[in-house]
Amino acid sequence: MTAWLAIVGVALATFLLRASFIVFIDPHRFPHWFRQSLKFVPPSVLAAIVTPGLFMSGGAIDVSRDAYPRIAAGLVAIVASFHVRNTMAAIVTGMATLWGLQWVLGHFT
Amino acid sequence: MAPALLGLVPFGFVAGVAAIGSGLTPAQGVALSVLSFSGIAQLVACQLIAVHSPVIVTVAAAAVVSLRFLMYSAAIAAQLAHLDWRWRALLSYLMTDQSYAASARRYSEPGANEHKHWHFLGSAMMLYVPWQASVIAGVVAGAAVPATWSLDFAVVLTFIALLVPAVRTRADLGAAIIAAALALVAAGLPYRLALVVASIGGIAAGMAIEAWRKR
Repeated sequence: MTAWLAIVGVALATFLLRASFIVFIDPHRFPHWFRQSLKFVPPSVLAAIVTPGLFMSGGAIDVSRDAYPRIAAGLVAIVASFHVRNTMAAIVTGMATLWGLQWVLGHFT
Repeated sequence: MAPALLGLVPFGFVAGVAAIGSGLTPAQGVALSVLSFSGIAQLVACQLIAVHSPVIVTVAAAAVVSLRFLMYSAAIAAQLAHLDWRWRALLSYLMTDQSYAASARRYSEPGANEHKHWHFLGSAMMLYVPWQASVIAGVVAGAAVPATWSLDFAVVLTFIALLVPAVRTRADLGAAIIAAALALVAAGLPYRLALVVASIGGIAAGMAIEAWRKR
């Protein structure tokens, strides 16, 4: 039951945020600084999601040798995305780097 | 759209696997995906449901990672203002990072706007159907995927592919760096509060840098 409540709540939250200005309110009724602040939402939120994926495992910061493949793969994917603006470039180069380094670390150390 | 599709399949699959891993039933996992249609919100919700967080905490965390939609909604509202509320509600429900990006490009092209909502609908459905199919595949196949594949890392890579083009100015870069640093510094906070702290800190940093550069 709790799970269903959470599901409905998450669904409502995502819908209301998407519909906010499209369906309900005119964005021009908000102060200029508020609308300006919105443009920093994607870089901030996405960076806050990506960073733990590279530097944390199991809920704690992990920069031990086990984490090297993830960190390196993330950096490779950042460089690749910078040059080729599509999702596939990041996934292919990142996963290839991750698997390659995991294999190397697993076999030669 | 085709490259976006290729990134979406592993992402949807991981979201399906995560739903089962968090203790949701298959029906609940699919319902979460059909109703919220947002990979990031689904994954964050699953992480919090897995540790039996209070419902309000789960919803709040999903809302914070979905604040991007507020920005997309504000950016595209004027172009959709001529449609009736049902169209606007439908397109809102279907809006994602990728379909917003595709439609924003389309709306910036010359030509009347009256029919471009069909393009929005089309690009959104091209993501919606494969997304739900990959989530269902993840829900069904879930536990059978070996952990050594590190499939969850494909999700991080998907976000990197969204993050890099979102950083266009120095203020954007400052926002991203501060948010990244705060996400690690605040990592010890419960209920994924680090995400909230980092996001708000990044936004504030971006605004401060912009204000300072304009002086």
